[in-house]
Amino acid sequence: MKVRINPVYKKELKISVRSIRLSLVIFAYNALLAMIGLLAFYFNFDANGYRNISYSSVLVVYTMIAILEFALILFVVPAFTANAIAGERERQTLEILLTTTLKPEQIIIGKLMSSISTIILLVFSSFPVMAIVFAVGGVRFVDLLQFMVFACITSVFIGSIGVLFSTFFKKTVPATVFTYGAVVILTLGTLATLLIIYLLVVQSYENNYYNSGAVGNYNPPGLGNLTLLLLVNPAMTLLSMITKQYGSMDIFKEVLDSFGGIHESIVNNWYYISVAVQLVLSGIFLKLAAWKLRTK
Amino acid sequence: MLEIRDLYKRYGKFTALDGLNLEIGKGELFGFVGPNGAGKTTTMRIMSGLLRADSGSILIDGIDAVAQPMKIKEKIGYMPDFFGVYDNLKAMEYMEFYASIYGIEGLEARELCRDLMKLVNLEDKEDAYVDGLSRGMKQRLCLARSLVHNPELLILDEPASGLDPRARFEMKEILKNLSSMGKTIIISSHILPELAEMCSSIGIIEHGRMVIKGTVDDIMSRMSASNPLIIRFASGKQEAVQRLKENPRVQNIAIQEDSVAIGFSGGQEEEAELLGSLVSQGIGICHFGREEGNLESLFMQITKEDGNEG
Repeated sequence: MKVRINPVYKKELKISVRSIRLSLVIFAYNALLAMIGLLAFYFNFDANGYRNISYSSVLVVYTMIAILEFALILFVVPAFTANAIAGERERQTLEILLTTTLKPEQIIIGKLMSSISTIILLVFSSFPVMAIVFAVGGVRFVDLLQFMVFACITSVFIGSIGVLFSTFFKKTVPATVFTYGAVVILTLGTLATLLIIYLLVVQSYENNYYNSGAVGNYNPPGLGNLTLLLLVNPAMTLLSMITKQYGSMDIFKEVLDSFGGIHESIVNNWYYISVAVQLVLSGIFLKLAAWKLRTK
Repeated sequence: MLEIRDLYKRYGKFTALDGLNLEIGKGELFGFVGPNGAGKTTTMRIMSGLLRADSGSILIDGIDAVAQPMKIKEKIGYMPDFFGVYDNLKAMEYMEFYASIYGIEGLEARELCRDLMKLVNLEDKEDAYVDGLSRGMKQRLCLARSLVHNPELLILDEPASGLDPRARFEMKEILKNLSSMGKTIIISSHILPELAEMCSSIGIIEHGRMVIKGTVDDIMSRMSASNPLIIRFASGKQEAVQRLKENPRVQNIAIQEDSVAIGFSGGQEEEAELLGSLVSQGIGICHFGREEGNLESLFMQITKEDGNEG
């Protein structure tokens, strides 16, 4: 059976690989990662003459690279995807596409795939450098795969927001600004919002508590299910994944506990739940983008 | 082939289409003429599925363009007045990309695209980057692109705009060729003479309404009925002027050296009657007929009259 590749994706891929930029970016990125890996090994093994080796510090290399790649996704994907449809509009190529038999969904998916393919390529090309942690153990192959899945889904999630704004705005600049704004809101905004709400709740509880003569135990209420808002925060997904891979989710639990705590089963499966939530949201954003493209 | 019924489209308070009606037969090369802002592009965008009409219907080969936009897209090839191209893409790749949208890939796509590029005289530009082509070449490439799925109806919005005379000529020849191949083509322009010589019929749109439609000759003869009647005399000019002044259908008389130009409100029968009466009175007439109009003045006349009505 012949597999038909999305024509928009195929075309975009052809254009992007034609430029020398992609090769240079992959080279620079992997050179940087390799340097980090080599330095980590040098300071842990060679520099101290293979005495007092801190095996756990090698795991820091894995964590560092994971965070670096996560940050890269947050910074690069909005710039690529916000240009997706708005760029076609600015180039005056969108109208022709819309008069063909290509469905708006196909255009949206093709643009999203091509926009995030570079970043996914970067993430996958870092796989061998990340795999150096196998030398000392602690992180399993399946953990690396889990990170790769996380990177792909985060790219799709952020990318779908970028594509959505790209269809709503005629120009690339406002689409890019709004996408970065959305990324800030998702990663920092959700935490800040919950923190403010939590402080207000505690303040209100304390006022009542002390006004009534501080009788009984001091036990301020938590935010309960409102904390589930953090499921849309990819930074929290990363934190839950890494802490679980480290064998202890204490840090992650501490963060959630600061808002009053949440059910244990949700905490333990936070990665899977949040990934599912983000995928569903991505689907909704892409559907909305296609709808916007169809609306005249 | 194409049937537009009572098409309305408003942008806020501005009425772009005001009950437009139009019928175009299979194989026709139809010139859609009108001043800027008359509603040509709006009509074409609605036909192509880029815009939704407020009300009315468009049937292309019996298929409702509003209800079944996907089916319509298989039948039409659209070329907008302004379009862009992708950077870093060669002309052949550009063509193959659009072919792949219609499921034509591999060798079949390569051969088809090669044929189409030959049709638009771009066979030697296969490996040239699209953004490096001249405007005329880009227009021709876009025309070839619109033919990639062998559409029955070609909708071309000002295909010759911004082209130099040579490129215009080449474009005209290609369109004539396509028409002879049996394609139904609609071309818009705000310049009537440009379309008149190649179109089998034309329609003039003004303020979103079709003012007049027919073959160029038909429209010319209809419109020239309001032109002054020119009578050139061999003899008896003074007597003829006297007789003309007595005729109630004569509105005004401009006397020239050997002829008169009269504003005459009658049709062809009345004209024959007038000629007969002058001849019967022994006046020597060597020329009798309406002043011939040209397309430019015809277009100005039609659009001005309609504007005055509004």
